Amino acid sequence: MTCSRCRTKPVIKLPNSNISLCKTCFLKYFERKVRKTIRQYKLFKKGQHIGIAVSGGKDSITTLYVLNKITKPQRTTKLTAIAIDEGIKGYRDETLKFAKKVCKELKIPLETTSYKKEFGKTLDQILKKNDIKPCTVCGVFRRYLLNKLAQKLKLDIIATGHNLDDEAQSILMNQFKNNITASARLGPITGIKSDKKFIRRIKPLYFLTEKEIMTYAYLKNLATKYDECPYAKDSYRDEMRTLINNFDRKYPSSKHSIINSFIEILPLLKKNHKKTDINYCKSCGEPTSQEECKTCKLIREIK
Amino acid sequence: MKIIAIDERNDIEKRLDVASIIEAANKLNINLEEVIITKNNELVTEKAKIKENDEIKFLSVISGG
Repeated sequence: MTCSRCRTKPVIKLPNSNISLCKTCFLKYFERKVRKTIRQYKLFKKGQHIGIAVSGGKDSITTLYVLNKITKPQRTTKLTAIAIDEGIKGYRDETLKFAKKVCKELKIPLETTSYKKEFGKTLDQILKKNDIKPCTVCGVFRRYLLNKLAQKLKLDIIATGHNLDDEAQSILMNQFKNNITASARLGPITGIKSDKKFIRRIKPLYFLTEKEIMTYAYLKNLATKYDECPYAKDSYRDEMRTLINNFDRKYPSSKHSIINSFIEILPLLKKNHKKTDINYCKSCGEPTSQEECKTCKLIREIK
Repeated sequence: MKIIAIDERNDIEKRLDVASIIEAANKLNINLEEVIITKNNELVTEKAKIKENDEIKFLSVISGG
């Protein structure tokens, strides 16, 4: 088997086709796909200040690396990396160390905040005292702090490392839980409406699989061995990932089909859910779809 | 032929008697959708040919958090 384009030794067989690519052809393919997503979905404009949410994992570090490569010639687009330290000993401290190293190499400023600083407790401490699902509390707190930090830094938009696998899992999870409003917020640009206090998030890696991103990260030396959160194992998302991957192995391209069919109906979903109001939390003033935001409710619940 | 197979996610290293990378993955119960593969530290596809004493490493693509 050889590279489908230049007949040299392949490093990957693309998941949704019979094409195999060598290192050089794959790196070109990958970056071209990110550029296409940015262009097609108008993810940002020249001159904007983009925040890149970095955890130090392969997805966020690849997003940082590729966006830097793409926007560097423009000069007018400003990048700032933003990180949330949840306080997961032996994991987040290691991945953040790596994020700092990459930011320094790329000369991109890094702004960090933490659960400890903002809520007085680390995630480890919260989970020690409360019988609560780690991914629920983590997802809510992290989104809240990213948005707050983005407002403070006057960012126009936040880029995240969400990929095709993450999105396929979210779509099916929302279907299984009959939560179509949550699906309406998905897509390459998150959210349904714009709001001065809600910084929208973009996903430049939306059409790339975890496998493609890991291949890119490996070839560019952007992957660490501390990539899997110790709390993520056995989560609902983890089960959904296994289900989809087993299915995709048996019926190739299933993952891509989930995304492609979802992209077709997404404009309708967004239109139908446009009536969902953006309120401001009665306790903290941050944007929420309810009277009080999930973060304030959770803070009251946890010991 | 005998190869060294390493499942990095689960910290498993085994000497396996297999004819292909796919067979090694099956023996280790690894879904090939969830890994990239190196042969003697060089990135390869699951279809790469193997020979006696090759070191095949399965690196997890799963991240989270």
